[in-house]
Amino acid sequence: MKAKRIIGGLILLIATTSLYAVPITGEQIMQNVYDRDTGNNMQANLRMEIMNSRGQVRERDIIQVSQEDQDGIEKKLMFFLSPADVKDTGFLSISYPDDRDDDQWIYLPALRRVKRIAAKNQNDSFMGSDFTYDDMGTRNPNKDVHTLLGTTMIDGQECYIVESIPKVSNKEFDRTVTYIVKDQWYGLNKEYHYKGEMVRELTINSLESINGIYVINDMVMENHDKGTQTRITMSDVSFDNDLDSGIFTDRQLKMGPRF
Amino acid sequence: MKRITQRPLPVLLAILLISILFVLQIADNAQLETDLDEYMPSEHPAFVASDAASEEFGITDSIMIAIEHPESIYNVGTFDKIRELSEQLPEVFEELLDEDITSLYHADNITGSEWGLEVGPFFEETPESQEEFDLLREQVASNEMVYGSVVSLDETSTIIVFPLDEEADTKTLEKELTEYISRYEGPENIYVAGRPIVEGALASLGPADMARMFPIVMITMIILLYILLRSIRHTILNMVIVLLGTIAAFGTMAMFKIPVYSVDTMIPVMLIAIGVAYGIHMHNTIMYLVRKNSLITKDQLINETLSQMTRPVVMAAITTAIGFSALMTSQVLPVRYFGLFSSIGVLSEMLFALLLFPLSIRLLGVPKTGRKREDEDLELPVQGKIKDHRWTVYIMNKGKLITLIAVIVAVLGGVGATKIWIDTSFLANFEEDHPISVTDRFVNETFAGTSSINIILSGEQPDTFKTPEALSLMAEMQDAFVEDPMIGGAFSLTDFIKRMNFVLNEEQDEYFSIPDNQELIAQYLLLYDMSGDPETIAKVVDYDYQKTNMTLQLKSDSSSLIEKIIAQVATYEEDFGDLGITITYAGSGYTSFIFADLLMEGQVLSLGISFLIVAVLLTLVFKSMFIGIAGTTPIAITATVNFGVMGLLGIPLSSATALISSIAIGIGVDYAIHLIEHYMNRRNEGFSISETVNETISHTGKAIIFNAIAVMGGFIVLTFSVFPPNRQVGSLIALNMVLSALGTLSVLLVTLVHLDKKHRLPIKTAAANKE
Repeated sequence: MKAKRIIGGLILLIATTSLYAVPITGEQIMQNVYDRDTGNNMQANLRMEIMNSRGQVRERDIIQVSQEDQDGIEKKLMFFLSPADVKDTGFLSISYPDDRDDDQWIYLPALRRVKRIAAKNQNDSFMGSDFTYDDMGTRNPNKDVHTLLGTTMIDGQECYIVESIPKVSNKEFDRTVTYIVKDQWYGLNKEYHYKGEMVRELTINSLESINGIYVINDMVMENHDKGTQTRITMSDVSFDNDLDSGIFTDRQLKMGPRF
Repeated sequence: MKRITQRPLPVLLAILLISILFVLQIADNAQLETDLDEYMPSEHPAFVASDAASEEFGITDSIMIAIEHPESIYNVGTFDKIRELSEQLPEVFEELLDEDITSLYHADNITGSEWGLEVGPFFEETPESQEEFDLLREQVASNEMVYGSVVSLDETSTIIVFPLDEEADTKTLEKELTEYISRYEGPENIYVAGRPIVEGALASLGPADMARMFPIVMITMIILLYILLRSIRHTILNMVIVLLGTIAAFGTMAMFKIPVYSVDTMIPVMLIAIGVAYGIHMHNTIMYLVRKNSLITKDQLINETLSQMTRPVVMAAITTAIGFSALMTSQVLPVRYFGLFSSIGVLSEMLFALLLFPLSIRLLGVPKTGRKREDEDLELPVQGKIKDHRWTVYIMNKGKLITLIAVIVAVLGGVGATKIWIDTSFLANFEEDHPISVTDRFVNETFAGTSSINIILSGEQPDTFKTPEALSLMAEMQDAFVEDPMIGGAFSLTDFIKRMNFVLNEEQDEYFSIPDNQELIAQYLLLYDMSGDPETIAKVVDYDYQKTNMTLQLKSDSSSLIEKIIAQVATYEEDFGDLGITITYAGSGYTSFIFADLLMEGQVLSLGISFLIVAVLLTLVFKSMFIGIAGTTPIAITATVNFGVMGLLGIPLSSATALISSIAIGIGVDYAIHLIEHYMNRRNEGFSISETVNETISHTGKAIIFNAIAVMGGFIVLTFSVFPPNRQVGSLIALNMVLSALGTLSVLLVTLVHLDKKHRLPIKTAAANKE
């Protein structure tokens, strides 16, 4: 299983000016997206609004810290700030760059115990939202076959249109189409197709530049199949914080979001 | 009318043309409505609540595929089949939804290991080694959420449950699915069960059986008619009247693009009974006139027949039609249409009876009286000369006894009627050894049950169903339910909470409970959201935790079980009320139950209105309130006894059997009008009471008895049907015919005599004093 970067994926990345003069391929574009610098570590407040097909909304506020070390191991710590009855519930995950399953722990303050939870399938829903674990990370480009379909203008920016076909078939999508801003290497829109129908669609509403790193602070995933959608907005984003090395441990999980 | 009969060919041509037009309409526009939902009054609050909850929680009817292995399901072959069926069936059959399938392959297994919590399917790949199978077996046996419901306790069977698309055509699905599944047989037995399957089998079996039986019914009736009437011409005319009347009813129905509902199969039944009555009365009068005057000319015969018969036939038809239109007060749409189109059919039959008999005389001449029969003299009303019928003696002398017997019968009927029950069970319609019944029994014995009802609890505010109080009360009610041997299982939010609490507390038994801590419950739910499939939880609780859905699996689809459950829930109503929680229900079993209740209510109401209308019309027609009441009495007795017999024999009320009581009205009105009319005419002609009774019995009485025998004889054939509901219909029609005939010839006649003696009948004074 490819390393999961639950937050890493949210921060689609920085400008690395294209040096290629030769026509670029779909593969190269996706590799550039994958290779963006995401900073050393990141801290942010996340608001997740999950809307079901009846228009009812569940709101969750989460504070999260993430860090990727030199070996490509990504560690992430999240705490729920609201709703009140789950406040301080903590979630710790460690993803490995190789095929190892992620390690995940959860801390339930009312139970006062840290529990390990089983690794999830990449295509399973992330916290009951319309995002999958796969969406929350950056998918390794070698999992798909990419084709550059052409370019188009979105909001005054020239974008590559890249079609990706998974090498290993899954039940969630058999084709994705991503719109990637030329020379910036972040996506503005992604369509998930299955059996000829667009089942899900990710739309980026806004970005901001923090310490020179582009951060998507508002995005919506619509599930056309189920009529549901999830919006994730981010605030108070900071990079390269001075983190305690012991922060990604079960001790911190029990302590709550005090760092 | 008389002038019309002088130009027979154009009239016949016109009738033929109109009928052909109707037949073309039927061929073009008629469509059968088999979807039961179309019967339901969708604006009724119970249906509105059920529909809303069904949409919210994804409550659908389900198809169950049970796989039974002679030894144990834990082997490669069976597991491959579980996986293949789970994956392929929704692809082959679009009606089977791909989501929310329950099977070992799909069910979420919430497990705790020494290090934490895991939620996932029991298997994704078929296990390869015995060890893997053993491990899986242990997991299943230790998970109360599947053990006994997805896998049988003896481990020889497992089940796959597919939610069904609402729009699915159950009739074709039942056939195709059963055929498709058969290729997976061996060594396993594969069963297809579930309410839609039973419904589908029912939708094809009932009409198929009726189609097979109906020709036999008609042939029997034709033979009986010929034996009774001894006239090929009049037998044919009788059947033509019935046929044309039926064509007119269904033709207008098709013209207005109103679909044919299954209760409409009762329209021809009604039209046969009534059409044959009209025909026999016409026949009787014609033959009577011919015998009285063997030299009678065509014109005289036509004139005489019409002047004697137009009034009673028209009155009978109009009264019946207006009586039927009372059914239009029903809340149930098909019943309303039944009333309307039966009325149209009856009026058409009236017209055809009054047209075709005279036309046949015009075209074919005066009918021959045939061989003289012994009793023939009796039909000639020669004053003072005729010997009294034995029945006349009874009527004249045993009036009190007859009244007493009638009262006893009516009271018994009334008592029986209180025992009447509504059954919406589809399954009750099949013989015990029918494959549908066998499968259903197997699945009900092995698993939680093939039927279900959903109890919907709604709180006043969000997060109600995160509170320990609400959840504990739910768990308490749920525990009480599963004590009932007819309730195979119950499933709700509490199961998730209890299981999570158990698993996260090292599987210690005392933690298999609702924790007394709202935050912990909320955190469990969040944890499940993060680890499991959020759609599973969405089936038991809404987004705001304000509304929850408890599913009870039932081992019977009988209405009495649903009634019992509703009564049991009612005992918790107060406790839930204290927490601000209200209770409603959902699911097709429940809506059928409510529908049946409405049907019954509407039926009783519209029957009551029919009685009133008939009584008023009889009063107006005969200008006597006493006659109005007397004429309605046999009808009321017949209807009461009809319901009484149903109650005593345990024949449940259904949309078909409920309408049979309308026969009591249709036929009862006809009998009463002819009898009263004849009685009054004879009395006014100067006959004494006993002479009148005697003459009425031999003339109208004969027609009534002939009609009853022919119709009853025909429909009694249905009791040989292989389909129990058709048997019930057959015997109830026979019963109604007998009761109507007997009631008219005894109770009505005795009442008339009694009123007559008391000078309460509007009879000219000269005749009135003659005893």
